[in-house]
Amino acid sequence: MFRKKTQQVISREQAAFLSRIQRRKALVLTIQWTLLFAFFLLWETAARYGWIDPFIFSQPSRMFAAGIQMAQDGSLWTHIGTTLWETVAGFVLGTILGTLTAVLLWWNRFVSDVAEPYLVVLNSLPKTALAPIIIVWIGNNQTSIIVVALLTSVVVTIMSVLNGFLQVDHEKIKLIQIFGGTKLQVLAKVVFPANIPCILNALKINVGLSFVGVIVGEFLVAQSGLGFLIVYGGQIFKLDWVMLSVIVLAVLAAAMYEGISLLEKKFMKWQE
Amino acid sequence: MRPIVSLDNVSLRYHSVSGETPAVSHLNLEVLPGEFICIVGPSGCGKSSILSMLAGLLSPSEGSIRIDGEIGYMLQKDYLLEWRSIRSNALLGLEIQKKLTKENIEYVDTLLEQYGLGDFKEHYPYQLSGGMRQRVALIRTLAVRPDILLLDEPFSALDYQTRLSVSDEIGSIIRKEGKTAILVSHDISEAISLSDRVVVLSGRPARLKKIYPIQLTIEEYSPMKAREAPEFREYFNAIWKELDVHVS
Ligand SMILES: Nc1ncnc2c1ncn2[C@@H]1O[C@H](COP(=O)(O)OP(=O)(O)OP(=O)(O)O)[C@@H](O)[C@H]1O
Ligand SMILES: [Mg+2]
Repeated sequence: MFRKKTQQVISREQAAFLSRIQRRKALVLTIQWTLLFAFFLLWETAARYGWIDPFIFSQPSRMFAAGIQMAQDGSLWTHIGTTLWETVAGFVLGTILGTLTAVLLWWNRFVSDVAEPYLVVLNSLPKTALAPIIIVWIGNNQTSIIVVALLTSVVVTIMSVLNGFLQVDHEKIKLIQIFGGTKLQVLAKVVFPANIPCILNALKINVGLSFVGVIVGEFLVAQSGLGFLIVYGGQIFKLDWVMLSVIVLAVLAAAMYEGISLLEKKFMKWQE
Repeated sequence: MRPIVSLDNVSLRYHSVSGETPAVSHLNLEVLPGEFICIVGPSGCGKSSILSMLAGLLSPSEGSIRIDGEIGYMLQKDYLLEWRSIRSNALLGLEIQKKLTKENIEYVDTLLEQYGLGDFKEHYPYQLSGGMRQRVALIRTLAVRPDILLLDEPFSALDYQTRLSVSDEIGSIIRKEGKTAILVSHDISEAISLSDRVVVLSGRPARLKKIYPIQLTIEEYSPMKAREAPEFREYFNAIWKELDVHVS
């Protein structure tokens, strides 16, 4: 009749099944870590034995040393902090603005019909192409970078969230109207909550897009941040800095993605 | 007795780019307080459209509708909101009408207890069976204390077995709560077993073909027992004929 989340006594067969799954999980994880470790080991070895030129390719031990040094003089934290702040501001603003715009377009179908071709074109335009223009308009500063990051994510958010809004089962909207509900209540009780998964998904995608916007922005504005470190390191042939920045970026992106996945789990306890 | 619902020469036409669709044509019908009416008719004839007009979601193209009371509408599927607990789903209507008083909330809790959902209040819809979900949908409808219940094939999403027991159960609940009910069904047995009168409609646009007052000789009324009444067959055959012969 129903499924209830209760603690059950498990059979031997079930226990064996569970332990098989556990073992497989452990194996996958072990291989993943081993591959990562092997990659860095190979890199280090290749550099030590002169198979590759560490001046161009850098090498893990030198990156590590550079990292320690920059952590001690504090510059690493400044760069990470800058990039992190710009990225978070970019994707949070992009998601909020995108969602609000989607609400507006959902509310007024006429405006959304008018806006449609513009959205489609804007969506396929590489937003980073606008970065130089933004910098001219707003200035050679952090605000420009955040605006570029926001631009990378806002249009795709509008499109996917609006699409989600429009796909809400019409009968569920009828349900609200049957009780005499207003359009605002249709939005608040059905359309918006039904699309929280969709908005969280947009947030996830926007993390990656926002990073792209921020790094491009930092390339151009060149004051601080990991993007700046990459460009500057490249110019003065400090490949240790460049590689280190790339790896830190990868870690940051992964951490943020995980963070949003956690948020997702918290919001979706009503799902199977 | 004064009818609680009356349709006076009601017609409805839909307009779309591809043309005009007449859905209901010159319909007259009166429903008395406490009556249980079933509407049967060929598929696509305009049954849901009639309920939509009664619920005030559509206005008739011609004619007039008079309703003396609050309407409650139960849709074809339960449409429970997945992200709300059972209790919160049952409270949806009250919430929308801003009638979340202590008394009303208690009423919903009583209904949930009474109809076997007391232990599931904090569960989510996916954890319930089809029949239980349908009962939650009924409680959500009853919560706002409607005088008239509109039911649009509320059991059609259920498998046959469940359908029998759920329609029996929900039919009894509606009688017990003393509501007037207008039920759309395409199941003739269901219509006969549940209702006081069966209204047979023509194919689209829906016109009134015939009304069958149902009188069954059974000791104690229950929709399940009604199916065993001696007159049941006769009604079934008559309505079947009325529906079938003229399908075009
Ligand atoms: N919004 C609409 N616009 C245009 N035509 C419509 C609309 N809604 C319904 N119709 C048409 O009106 C007719 C009656 O529809 P309705 O849903 O009322 O029939 P029904 O008897 O409830 O059908 P079913 O047995 O399938 O539930 C159908 O032919 C349908 O295609
Ligand atoms: Mg219908």
